[in-house]
Formats: sequence, structure tokens, C-alpha cells
Amino acid sequence: MQATNEQEQQASLEASISAWIDAEADIRPEDLDSPYGRQVWDTYHLIGDVLRSEELAIKPSDFLYARISRAIDEEPPIVAPRVQPIRRYARAGLSGVAAAAAVAAVAWVAMPYFAGSDPAPEAPVMASSEAENLYDYVAAHHDITGVGPLRQASFRVGEGR
Amino acid sequence: MTVAPLKGMACLALATVALMGPMPMAIAAQPQPEPGPEILQKMQDAARNLDYAGVYTYQQGNIVLSTRVVHIVDGTGERERISLLDGRPREYIRHNETTQCLLPDDRVVLVERRESERFPAVLFDDGERLPAHYDLQLADTPDRVAGRECRDLTLVPRDAQRFGFRICADRDTGLPLRAQTLGPDGVLAQIVFNTLEVGKGVASEALAPTWNTSEWKVVEIPIKEVDLAAEGWRIPLPPGYEPLTQVARQMKGGREVKHLVASDGLSTLSVFIEAYSGPEGQPHDLGLVRKGVLSVYRKRIGDHWLTVLGEVPADTVRDLAHRTEYVPLAVR
Repeated sequence: MQATNEQEQQASLEASISAWIDAEADIRPEDLDSPYGRQVWDTYHLIGDVLRSEELAIKPSDFLYARISRAIDEEPPIVAPRVQPIRRYARAGLSGVAAAAAVAAVAWVAMPYFAGSDPAPEAPVMASSEAENLYDYVAAHHDITGVGPLRQASFRVGEGR
Repeated sequence: MTVAPLKGMACLALATVALMGPMPMAIAAQPQPEPGPEILQKMQDAARNLDYAGVYTYQQGNIVLSTRVVHIVDGTGERERISLLDGRPREYIRHNETTQCLLPDDRVVLVERRESERFPAVLFDDGERLPAHYDLQLADTPDRVAGRECRDLTLVPRDAQRFGFRICADRDTGLPLRAQTLGPDGVLAQIVFNTLEVGKGVASEALAPTWNTSEWKVVEIPIKEVDLAAEGWRIPLPPGYEPLTQVARQMKGGREVKHLVASDGLSTLSVFIEAYSGPEGQPHDLGLVRKGVLSVYRKRIGDHWLTVLGEVPADTVRDLAHRTEYVPLAVR
């Protein structure tokens, strides 16, 4: 689990650094300032330099090309999707905290935002249960911004226990 | 090179004017001064500092919701009572930054301590940044709302990251009487006073809640501040948007959701982040839902759900969701 996480985060950082080098996004120096970030930064610049300069590149032998093509042929096809393990331990660990905090747990009364049959034509329609879950977010947004109608929330005291 | 001689001529022209005495023609031909952020600040000050009472209606698509507001400023600060007139009865009693939400069917008073302003307040800060992102246009002719003369200020967005707004401010007091959100095809949502009384006629008795809540249960809503950037979240807000607040809040089922609210002064959007807890095999990208003025985009980032929503164009929430990253490695 932890390893999967770290891999994802590394991939995300690598993608960012690649975008910065290509000037496709603004550089975030604070993200670069880690041993890994600096290493990726240097490596990507080296790759760029080699791509732009024949002199820096090593001319590989024909034998290398042959070995690479054979290795690709022998590679098994990748079809298995990565399965996200269920985080049961996390849920079990949380329940104590949740019970204590649930005194003020919120059950929002649905605002009629997503009700009715009038979705924007270009928007894909979500499963209705998914759309229902969005009421919470819309209400929370309006609660803080004060934009739009006042929430019609109801608070079930002790919900979640 | 061209500036210096022009400057000289201007000085000369001024000197000539001074010599020739007042020129009423020239004064009459002067264009109206560009409306600046001060006109918005005046609206905000009016909403905060005046005594007023009235009923306003929120309208969006087929939703119509009316609300009664009483707002009085006394020696202790701002006092406000807001009553919902449609749907289940609710009342909000605010004294400065403390708001009590009265829920009569549950016999519960919810107490929240944080700044919360709503219509007729329209700004989220001093409005200084607005001219950078909106073109401000003051209408030539007055309009009439709730029996009072007002003048429309239109804020035309300079990019596609926000909708436009049109606010009709009371001629006498500057109080916003009507606020409209404008999309490419016209009004998307609006909030407008139907009746309004301003000034001495507003009695402080009108602040008293409808129900006697002495026997009701009082629940304080805990507010926990969070710092998403320090946790490794890179949320590249669209140009002009600044974070207003970042809190952790309890949602249905007691789950904790981190909530960032950002604004450009008028437009707002929210970013929600929570632990992924859905069933296996759920798609990573639930995509976009649009309803009237509101756009929502929901996707999964690793072990988290990301939900971006706001009264902003659909592309704004989609782009923000796609560009948000989780890089806690960089934080360490």
C-alpha cells in the first residue's frame, strides 16, 4: 500500500518536473527542493541535452538494437489492471474518532440542485446516488461562501455512532 | 521620444485654459470616471453598516427561495436575523461572527463561530483585485428594484475563468438591491430584494427569534483549520483566485472532508479532499455535473477523492481538478 502510494507520488512529481522543463507549467521551487526532485531535474535536463546534441549521445551498436527488439518481443502483454486494495484497517482505526466527533455530524437535507431532469446537455449524467452525495458539497460550499440559497440542513445529533 | 513634446503641449493647453478662465463646454464633455473598486466597497460598507429589513428572493432555474432579513448595527456590532420563508423553517441569528442556526423540527441550535456574510453583502475582500479580472461598467440609466431607484454595475469577466455579474446598487445608500450572475446566454442566477426598509424604521424587536429555544439542545460546530499545501496538495487556482479559508469539516456519516474555498473577490469555488472510501472498481474520474450556475467535477487522486465545485464555468472546475496534484514527497 505504502509502496503504491510512493510510486504514485513519484510519478506525479516526475510529471510536474517534466512539464516545468518543457515550460508547460510554472516551476514550484519548493517541490524541487528534495534529493529526489533535484535528481529528476538533473536527469531530465541531461536527457534534453542529449536529444539536442549528437555529440553527447553514444552511438549504440547494431547489436544493442537487436537485443532491445528481442526483449520487447519477449515482454508479456500487460492486461491486468492495478487493483486498489480496500483500506479496512483505516476504517477500523477511524471509527473511534468518528464516534467522538459525530456529535456534530451533519445530515444535509437535499437542496433541489440536482433534482429534476434538466442536466446540461454536454454534461455526462452521474449515477443518481452519486449526484445525491453532491448535495453535501454544494451545501458546504454555500455555507462558507454565503452565495446562493441558505442551506436547509438538518443536523442529526449523534449520527454515525 | 514622443512623450516629451506631447507633455509640453498639454502643459501649454492647460496654461491657455487657465488664462482664458473657466470653460463650461470642456467640463460638460468630460467622460464619466471609470467605476473602480470603491463603488463595490461602498456596497459592502452599506451591507455591513446600515440598518435594514426586507425580503429577498433567490432564483435559479426552477428554484425560487425567499428569505427575510433584519440587519441592525448597535454598540456591540452587527446583529442579523435571517428567516427562510420556503421549505422547512430555519432561522439564523447572527451577532458579529457567531451564528446560531435554529432547527425547530429537531429542537436544536447549531452554533458556528466564523465570519459569514451573505447577500446583500457581495464581496469577499476589499474588491481591489476585481478590476484586473473584470471590466466594470456603470449603466447610464437607472433601474428600479423593490420600489427604490438603483443603478446597475456590470462586471464583465476578462477571461473564461469566471462568470459575469450585474449588481444594482441603491441610489441613496449604495446597498445592493439585486445581484445577478451572468453566463454567455444571460442571467444564470439572481438574488433580489422584493421589499426593503432602510434606516430608523427598522426595529430591534424584529431581531428576536420566532421560537423560544431555552429548552433546545445547543451543538457547537467545531471548525478545524488545515493547511492543504503543507500536506502536499498542489492546487493551482485559476488566475485571480486566492484561498479564503481551509477547514476540515464533518460530513454525512461522520467522515472528515478538507475544504478549501477560493475567490477572486466575487466568484467563488470550493475544493474538497477526503479519503477514498468507495467500493472497489469505481471509476477514477466521475467527471462533470452542471446544473444552472453550478459546476461540479469529481475525480480520484490515489487514495483520495477530489471534488471541485463552484459558481464558475465548467472548464474552470475541470481544469483545476485535472491540474491538482498530491506530492507529499516534496514536502518532506
